[in-house]
Amino acid sequence: MAIQKILFASLLICSLIQSSHGAEKERLFSELEKGSLEVTTKPSREGAGVVLDAGIDKISITWKLSSTGSKKEAEFKTIKVKLCYAPPSQVDRPWRKTHDELFKDKTCPHKIVARPYDKTTQSIDWILERDIPTGTYFVRAYAVDEHDHEVAFGQSTNEAKTTSLFSVQAISGRHKSLDIASVCFSVFSVLALLVFFVNEKRKAKIEQSK
Amino acid sequence: MGDPTGEPGSSMHGVTGREQSFAFSVASPIVHTDKTAKFDLPVDTEHKATVFKLFSFSKPHMRTFHLSWISFSTCFVSTFAAAPLVPIIRENLNLTKQDIGNAGVASVSGSIFSRLVMGAVCDLLGPRYGCAFLVMLSAPTVFSMSFVSGAAGFITVRFMIGFCLATFVSCQYWMSTMFNSQIIGLVNGTAAGWGNMGGGITQLLMPVVYEIIRRAGASAFTAWRIAFFVPGWLHIIMGILVLTLGQDLPDGNRAALEKAGEVAKDKFGKIMWYAVTNYRTWIFVLLYGYSMGVELSTDNVIAEYFFDRFHLKLHTAGLIAACFGMANFFARPAGGWASDFSAKYFGMRGRLWTLWIIQTAGGLFCVWLGRANTLVTAVVAMVLFSLGAQAACGATFAIVPFVSRRALGIISGLTGAGGNFGSGLTQLLFFSTNQFTTEEGLTWMGVMIVGCTLPVAFIHFPQWGSMFLPPSKDPVKSTEEHYYASEWTEQEKQKNMHQGSLRFAENAKSEGGRRVRSAATPPDSTPNNV
Repeated sequence: MAIQKILFASLLICSLIQSSHGAEKERLFSELEKGSLEVTTKPSREGAGVVLDAGIDKISITWKLSSTGSKKEAEFKTIKVKLCYAPPSQVDRPWRKTHDELFKDKTCPHKIVARPYDKTTQSIDWILERDIPTGTYFVRAYAVDEHDHEVAFGQSTNEAKTTSLFSVQAISGRHKSLDIASVCFSVFSVLALLVFFVNEKRKAKIEQSK
Repeated sequence: MGDPTGEPGSSMHGVTGREQSFAFSVASPIVHTDKTAKFDLPVDTEHKATVFKLFSFSKPHMRTFHLSWISFSTCFVSTFAAAPLVPIIRENLNLTKQDIGNAGVASVSGSIFSRLVMGAVCDLLGPRYGCAFLVMLSAPTVFSMSFVSGAAGFITVRFMIGFCLATFVSCQYWMSTMFNSQIIGLVNGTAAGWGNMGGGITQLLMPVVYEIIRRAGASAFTAWRIAFFVPGWLHIIMGILVLTLGQDLPDGNRAALEKAGEVAKDKFGKIMWYAVTNYRTWIFVLLYGYSMGVELSTDNVIAEYFFDRFHLKLHTAGLIAACFGMANFFARPAGGWASDFSAKYFGMRGRLWTLWIIQTAGGLFCVWLGRANTLVTAVVAMVLFSLGAQAACGATFAIVPFVSRRALGIISGLTGAGGNFGSGLTQLLFFSTNQFTTEEGLTWMGVMIVGCTLPVAFIHFPQWGSMFLPPSKDPVKSTEEHYYASEWTEQEKQKNMHQGSLRFAENAKSEGGRRVRSAATPPDSTPNNV
């Protein structure tokens, strides 16, 4: 049995390995060209202390080649726009940590859109998706070449990731119908137990009195 | 041994693993089979089964076995149901690493107390109601996951769900009312091992259920809440099955429990005293914390670890994590068997060395797991670690019956509680703070396992010796009778209260090893009474 389990596990693992990474291992974020793209964000509601609601509010994102141009512009094939965690949302949460190795980096897990590179200004009106967690965010656009490797990027905030951030409040995931179902099943469980118990005690008493 | 008269601690009798032989049936001619009884399995004079037929559902014995281990397993499923879904839950509830760690600690802490109380509950209500009460009253705690909206709620609910792990006690108690003492070791070891498997099953079940609900259209943050309905329903179903199909005793339900005891009732305070003042008890409390304890801790962290470190999908991480818990199917009984096997040749010394080797090996594999950088090595290390830790659990309870006869129930209970305590401690130290990454935490946990297993060397029996020391040379102290009878005062001995201990001492002589066995008793005689 032990052998079977180990074999099964290793078969599974080997097949997973086939489908995973290639030479991306050593590519570093610090090697990417900075500021090649100008990215701006405009949340649908703005102001001090405004928190956007996931699933409801929108962000208007625009990106274009930066005014200073880019040495690597010829390699740009696709632009991948992603939603990224700002430092306050990464505290005490190692699964959101920023790593220099691109394949390890967890700063920008949420994909917004991927479009072919165009010299003209691109924009999108993006509704915050319902699985976006509560946190503080900015937007980053990666310029990706034909091998699907990042070569450059631009982001809506400064290098220290302190400006132009926006806050999002996640959906709770709770529903009234779920709450009601939960209560119903709980009550059923307790009642069923009590009914059985009382019933059996009654039967035992009847038997004893016979 | 599940004594219907409610002798204190009796509810834990039979919790222990291997007795003399790893037997599927009672071979001794001394155990009289009651031929007038109309059961599917051969039974003794108390109508307890003398044969363990695994794939039968015959009423009442094997039916009880299956009801019992499945309810225990269901509680493991619900206690660890949150673990594989943490990558989703942590985003919904905005949890920090500390919150996740604290919830893990909470999930194993509740049952430290509930297991101690459960013994009394089984004595009062019988194991059938004990099990049903616990399982059905904890169903609401599982359903209440749908209300949780932050860290505090999450930790509280996981704490409350954790209480249901006390079904371990009702499971073992119930087995001991149905199975003869000669095979109770195997029966209880199998039931415990298969119950623990629930911790593995849940790692596979919950992500799959979550995925199905997602595909049906629910958003991620709602889907995981709905997924918790599955373990909740399992609780209700098992509770009803236990109530309708189960019975307390081979002959029926509790009526017989009213009869007056044939054995003088022992005093709880006295038993507690002998349990607590025996230093071996505390060594086992520590040891079990680093075999069962680390198993529970790993159940809580391993799916999230594979998800984050190796960038796997949720159900892939769940599948790998499931392999950890599922190894219990054979690993725990195998540990008990290994202990019995080494006892045949080397007696108690063999058992102690076996325990040390297996548990230390588990610790080393845990270190390897923490240091593994590729997926394949991590999985291999994890599987080997699981075999080591779970076999060590089996090997632990192969020795515990010999620590004391009078206080066996309480020592078993304390050892079990030590497991949960060890789990809470390791989660608190290594997986709840920012000081260690999870891989560092696993490495240090492995180191701690190796360190905390060293005290096995201090377990010394005057009659059998220890890992390094020979038995005592004193002609009086080196007898089994002296050791087990020393738990009774002179007054108690005059009342002949220690007869059970003396009988046990007689049978325990085989722990002296091969020389003693071949000289004293014929090889195929089995102990009369444990």
